Amino acid sequence: MRDRPTGEELLACARRVLREKVLPALPGEHKHDLLMALNAMSIAERQLHFGEAPERQELAALSALLDESFADPGEANRRLSSRVREGGGDPGQPQRTELFAHLRAAARQRLLESNPKALNGAIT
Amino acid sequence: MEQNILRALERFIVREARGESAAITNARILSGGAVQENWLLNVDIVGGMHAGSMECVLRCDSPTAGVAISHGRAQEFALLKTVFTAGVTVPEPLWLCEDRTVIGRQFFIMRRIAGTAAGHLLVKDGRYGGDRVQLAERLGHELARIHSVRPPQSALDFLPWYEDAPALHSVKLHRHFLDAHHTAHPALEWGLRWLERHAPARGVISLCHRDYRTGNYMVDESGLTGVLDWEFAGWSDPLEDIGWFCAKCWRFGKVDQEAGGIGVREDFYRGYERESGHSINRDEVRYWEIMAHMNWAIIAIQQGERHVSGEEDSLLLALTGHIVPELEWEILNMTEND
Repeated sequence: MRDRPTGEELLACARRVLREKVLPALPGEHKHDLLMALNAMSIAERQLHFGEAPERQELAALSALLDESFADPGEANRRLSSRVREGGGDPGQPQRTELFAHLRAAARQRLLESNPKALNGAIT
Repeated sequence: MEQNILRALERFIVREARGESAAITNARILSGGAVQENWLLNVDIVGGMHAGSMECVLRCDSPTAGVAISHGRAQEFALLKTVFTAGVTVPEPLWLCEDRTVIGRQFFIMRRIAGTAAGHLLVKDGRYGGDRVQLAERLGHELARIHSVRPPQSALDFLPWYEDAPALHSVKLHRHFLDAHHTAHPALEWGLRWLERHAPARGVISLCHRDYRTGNYMVDESGLTGVLDWEFAGWSDPLEDIGWFCAKCWRFGKVDQEAGGIGVREDFYRGYERESGHSINRDEVRYWEIMAHMNWAIIAIQQGERHVSGEEDSLLLALTGHIVPELEWEILNMTEND
């Protein structure tokens, strides 16, 4: 068992130091580099926060949607992609609503890790 | 730059400018991108059609360049010549050197334009770009000039030609890419299917910039000084450029400024319509804004992959890969109901 602070907590703490102490002391041309680094650390932190649960949920949802069990979400997403491309989600298709709801839920989870601010309509 | 290269450049300039002598008084690198390098050159020319002091930019491939999708220097020069002649505000292209023995790489020299192109600055700081109504109109005007270039153009015969509808052509290319990529993107597939089902027919085909957006033109305090970054130009539906310019993903956070984050959509349209003499189909622009999110998502995957594959260790590229989810989110929102 690992000791605390966890990786997530360490990243959060390191980010505070960089943002509050290092960023104000940096000359302009390097501020942008540090802001990018802080953004990268935030993404990693959020991924650690959610852990493996979203991937397990995605796999279960894909298996239910496609009515087939899959070992990994990669293979299942390829299958889903072909179904969408062939028109399985077109207006009038029986699975349209369910399929779109899945895509939105999966996209939402990815966004919660990459850029949760965009969920409120802000886009960078 | 080394002395022998500077001397070789001076000899090249004298010959091309038909002068008596040329002296490079200053040479410094302006930007060294992953694909191209830009060098500022101050040249004193004696005699000939360009006699006097001149500020130019030398553009060449970077030593590590390898991206196949952007045009080579000779092609970029031909594009600049074509649009310069069509009245587009671009840095005047002066001389092309395809002979690699001169400085070791192909290059061309253009007149320097002044100003800034940084999108984030431009949308936040009113000091740049002058009056915003005028800037939006002017950008519409410039785009209409670009679109006045119609095929066939023998100088541009390197641009890929295709017979299908431009929208369907893009859908096909994106599917090819996704099929070869290691990770499936069902949300993008949903968007591509929507784009396929709603694709406008092939209509007027014109030269399109295909990266016409805030960040790719230069301004000073009084307004536009030039349109940059021609490496993705190609034949397409003119509305593709209009959709790309107005798409939410290219407003740099200023979402209420629908014309590229710098102005009002109708000002931009007015400038375009006045110059082109054609009215813009507002509904079809929306289609091309969805296509813009799709194009950007595919490019973002490719940029991220350059980092992931180990080709180029870059935090910027790595983070660009993480833009994909917000583009997917927008695409889903825009295509939910039909």
